[in-house]
Formats: sequence, structure tokens, C-alpha cells
Amino acid sequence: MTTETHTPAHLIQGERVAMPVRIRDAAVASAMFPVPAAPAQALIAYSGLEVAEPVPGRAICSLAFIRYADGDLGPYHEFAVAFLVQPPGTSPRPGPRGLKGAGAFIHWLPVNQEFTLEAGRTIWGFPKELADIPMDLAGRTRRCAVRFGGRTAIEIAVRPGVPVPAGAGAMPDVTAYSCLDGTTRRTPWTLAASGVRMRPGGARVRLGDHPVADELREIGLDRARALSTATVDHLTMSFADAVPVAGRAEEDRS
Amino acid sequence: MRKTALVTGAASGLGALAAQRLAAAGRDVVAVDVDEDGLARTALRSPNMHTRSCDVADAAAVEAVVAESGAVHRVVHAAAVSPLAPALEQPLADVERALRIDYLGTVNVVRATLPGMLGRGAGELILFSSLAAFTPVAGSSAYGAAKAAVNAYAETLANEHRGGGVRFRVVCPRQVDTPAYRAAAAADPGGTAAGMKPLPPRAVLDAVDRSLAGDGLYVFPDAITRAVVLAKRYAPGLLSRVLPAN
Repeated sequence: MTTETHTPAHLIQGERVAMPVRIRDAAVASAMFPVPAAPAQALIAYSGLEVAEPVPGRAICSLAFIRYADGDLGPYHEFAVAFLVQPPGTSPRPGPRGLKGAGAFIHWLPVNQEFTLEAGRTIWGFPKELADIPMDLAGRTRRCAVRFGGRTAIEIAVRPGVPVPAGAGAMPDVTAYSCLDGTTRRTPWTLAASGVRMRPGGARVRLGDHPVADELREIGLDRARALSTATVDHLTMSFADAVPVAGRAEEDRS
Repeated sequence: MRKTALVTGAASGLGALAAQRLAAAGRDVVAVDVDEDGLARTALRSPNMHTRSCDVADAAAVEAVVAESGAVHRVVHAAAVSPLAPALEQPLADVERALRIDYLGTVNVVRATLPGMLGRGAGELILFSSLAAFTPVAGSSAYGAAKAAVNAYAETLANEHRGGGVRFRVVCPRQVDTPAYRAAAAADPGGTAAGMKPLPPRAVLDAVDRSLAGDGLYVFPDAITRAVVLAKRYAPGLLSRVLPAN
């Protein structure tokens, strides 16, 4: 297994990116969907991670779209497909307890700018690729599409929720997991949010023409009703260096 | 082809955030200011943002920036100064500076960009004004007069070019939490904004984005701004008694 390395900075497109990477202003809309656990597990098996099952037989797939306005990676748009996963090496804990310590495995992360593309893949192994990502985060209903050369992969609309009181914006730290080129990594990730609105349901997804859209169709996302949706007007974040983790495959061998 | 946006006052505050949002959306952004360090911060790691050091009060300089920018599809004109002082005590140079940058700067930006938009039959011309144009308060004589001139100018343009395909917006927020506002509030803690939480710049820009989905020239970004404008129209006597005298 690779030993942990801590580098104070990374060189991306000739520029020194100091760690941790800080995002000073972003806006987000997101939705969580219950999906059948078995095909979801099959979809992320390449990572060696296990999906969390807050309800036995059900996993959680999260879709989010984010506008990074002010941050260390420049301004860009991003779309995320993530699954809640158990911390690596832990035995399955069915039911809501299984969410304790759960992380977010980032399965797909298209972005619309080159700098963040290279930074995301190099620093954290995030599965970023270039796409056109138009979004509307100002209207009551927040909308986003991911397009490749005019062909739409996915469209999502998130309806407005009710304001969540300030103070609830202090979010617990989260661990992001990613798997690129056969290496699974975890990235410590801290967030603070203001202008948060939430509601049950409230998302509409249209899957288009793309391999990832086909994957999401396989796990029934085109028919799934959102558990909950959230919008955040102002989000600050910090991403530390990624650390390779031992997935199940490695542990089985040891 | 990527659409181009010209953003003035892009070194800080509303202009900086507008430039970053447009760059995030994949626009080519020409970011203009006289503060080159601030421009560099705004454009950090943003390859589709192009910074230009330019004083909007200099008509030839604005023309030159626009000439090398190609077709400009959206203008966000946020460059302004807001020297605050009692009218009779304010140095004449400060009055001239406010009129030159805030009003003539707007004229320069419009004259450099609007003909191209009209030629293409499309464009978005977003001019930042202020609630001070409607309700000048103590200390804001030069700033309020310059912004009122911007409003009159914009109303005239919108009339002259109705149906020309260009959408005009005049954004008139109350106090916005920008470096300029914070400096003014620090210099005069009991001033016009005392006790009132300023609007975050993102809320102002969200209101602009929403306005582009509809019609109407003026953008009043929040309920307080709208209430003051309504009070000015329907109960000006009451409003003048409520506003601080100094």
C-alpha cells in the first residue's frame, strides 16, 4: 500500500496550489435519492467501498450542482454524482446507524473549466471530465444540465424548500472518497453553509444520452422520488490532501 | 462560440463577484478596473477571464478595451466611486470625480458597447445605480446626483431603443456589503447605514439574474429597497421625516 504523503502544495498548469484548497463562495443545489442497494453496490464496486444502507436494501445516491465563484481553483461549474458509503474496513451496519460516519463516494464529477479539471484529478483523484454545465441558481427552481457537444447527459430541477435556521449551517466534517486509475482515496472535507433551504422530495431528473446516464437509469434514478432536496446560497469549503485507503480487495489479500 | 461579457469595477465587490460568476458559467469575461492587484485576485486561475486596466472615465481607453474585446454580449457596469460628505463641505474635485466616474463613466461604457449590441439585435446592458438615486440622504449629494443621472440616462436609452433587442437593467440596491461600503461605514459609524445589515453582493446579483428572465428596467434587489422606493413615491413626506438628517 502506498505510504501517506503530505505535500504542502501541488503544481497545476504551472501554478502552485497550496493545501488545503479553500473555497470562499459557492452555491449549491442537491437531491438525495433512495436506490436499490445491490445495483448501486455493483456500480461502485471498482472502488472497493461499500454503500451505506440506511434502510436495508436501499442505498443513497446524491446529485448536486455547484457554482464555485471564489476559490483557489478559479470560478467554475460542477455536477456531482455521489453515493453514501461506509467508512472502509467497517462491517455493514444496516439501518440509520449505518449513516454514522458515512462518507460520500464521488462517482462522477464533470466540470466546465480546465484548471479545476487537472487539479481535481491530480490532487484528489476526483473523476472530473470536461462538459458544458449551464445552471440557474437564482430562480426559485434551481436548474442544471450537463451536456457534451450539445448532447444532454442529465438535467435536474430542484424546487424551493423552507429556510433552515442559521446555526444549522455548521455542518459536520465529511469524508469524500474517490477512485481514479485503480486507487481509492479519501479526502477530508469541511463545509459551512448559510442561506440553506430544504424540503422532502422536490427534484425532477431527466436522464439523457451518456454512459453515466445509462448507469443511473440502471439503478432506477429516472423513476426515483427524491428523499429530500436542499439549496445553499453561500457555502465555504476546505479540501485537504487526499490519502490512499485500503479498499476491500486489498484487505482480503492481507 | 463563447459569449463575451464586459464587467467594470471587477477588482472588488459586486463587479468582482459578477465577473467570477460569468467566468464560472463559461463566458469570456473582460474584467476592467483601475486596481490591477484586485483584478488579479478576481481572475485567479480563470483562463477565460481577461483583465484590462482601464479608467471608465477615459472614453478613449474604454473604446480601446471594447475594440479588442470583440462582440460584447453582456455588460455589467459596476465601476463607481461614492465620496460622501455634507454638500457644502465636499471639495468640488470630489463632486466632479463622482460625476465623471459614475455618470460619464456609464456614458462611456454605453457608447462603446451599445452600438454593437444594436447592430446584432441582442445584448444585455446592466448598469449599477443605487437607491441613493431615489432617496439621497445626508452626505450623498454628489453620489446621489451622479446615480440619478445614470437612471435618467438609462431610461432615455431604454425609450430610444425599445424593440432593438437590447435589454437594459438599472440596478438600484440599498447598502451592499462591499469594500467601498465597509470603508464608508468605518469612516462614519453613525452614517446612513447605521444599524442596518447590508445586502450580500450575491443577493444583488441573484436579483439581476432573475430580472433577466422578465421585463422591466429597474431592479430593486430586496424588500427593504422596494419599501423605500414605494415610500418615496407614495409617502415622500413621511420618508423624509424617517431618514436621518445628518
